[in-house]
Amino acid sequence: MSDIERELEDELHRVLDPTSAMPIPPRRSAGNRTAARTVLGGAGAALTLKLLTGVAVAAAAVTVAGAATTGSINPIIWGQQVSQHVADCKAKLTDGQHGIGDCVSDFSNQHGQAVASDARHHGNPSGSANGHGNNTNANDHAKNKNKGRSTQQTKGPSNGQDTTDPAAHATVTASPQP
Amino acid sequence: MEAKPAPESYEPGSEADFERLYRNSYRRILGTLITLVRDRATAEDCAQETYERAFRHWKEWRPEASAEAWLHRIAINVAISDRRRQKLRQAGELVRRLGRPGAGPDPSVVAERSDLFRAMKKLPPKQTAVLVLRHFHGYSNREIAAALGVPEQTVASRLAAARQHLQAVLGRR
Repeated sequence: MSDIERELEDELHRVLDPTSAMPIPPRRSAGNRTAARTVLGGAGAALTLKLLTGVAVAAAAVTVAGAATTGSINPIIWGQQVSQHVADCKAKLTDGQHGIGDCVSDFSNQHGQAVASDARHHGNPSGSANGHGNNTNANDHAKNKNKGRSTQQTKGPSNGQDTTDPAAHATVTASPQP
Repeated sequence: MEAKPAPESYEPGSEADFERLYRNSYRRILGTLITLVRDRATAEDCAQETYERAFRHWKEWRPEASAEAWLHRIAINVAISDRRRQKLRQAGELVRRLGRPGAGPDPSVVAERSDLFRAMKKLPPKQTAVLVLRHFHGYSNREIAAALGVPEQTVASRLAAARQHLQAVLGRR
């Protein structure tokens, strides 16, 4: 064995022998780490975020559609009202007449407008405090139907004042956050 | 020279056996990695990554090959990947630190900084690996060749090149 080889062995033992006295740490679980990386890291994070956003948008769309039709965000009420109306539409069909699509569509349009109008009369453009559990969605639905009308109409009675008029508002003092 | 353990039998795919393999081989794999990467903490991280990779392929391991030699092969690949990442990080840090004083040396690294050890760490990782397997773990050239999946002649030439380089750096004959 040459000098360099002997020296190499001595040096390796000097540096590495202490590792043989070290405690062995618990093995890192590959499954957990991979799952965490998949959810939290890199492309996995982007995909997860997109998936969650998609689910949230889909849920919101269902809520908007239901509430716009029935004036309520409660799905039980949607179900009852729509079932009732479908039954009514069927009963109205005369012999030889087919299809209840128009009848049901009329119902949803009328109901959306009625809910939005009701919200306006209560001075609440959002329609959230009109005692019917209505929400912004119904109002938005009506707004779409009322495109081209005066914007004053959609503000409701309490909006007679110019919102930019300083005299119409109490003075607000904003203090900086500590 | 560290005595090589008598080969144990393991069943591929058995989680209990893999845990036993981990306990039996962790320190030697860590030792190899310490010579290949920049510091002890990185070596520990690379050791864990080595076992993660090995566990993913544990069912495919064939008992004809030494389990520890197989782990060494994975560990060397992990270390090579880490060195590449490290070079990229260093380039990025160099750009960020331009004009500022550099950070002091890591105290955990200072203890390992003999001329010989430093010179060894500057060798290509495949040459360092054969030196450690030969001169610390006591593998024969044939065993190293089997572990790394290269011809025995390649192992011999890597060893010769590594020794020659170390001698040149240290000014020895």
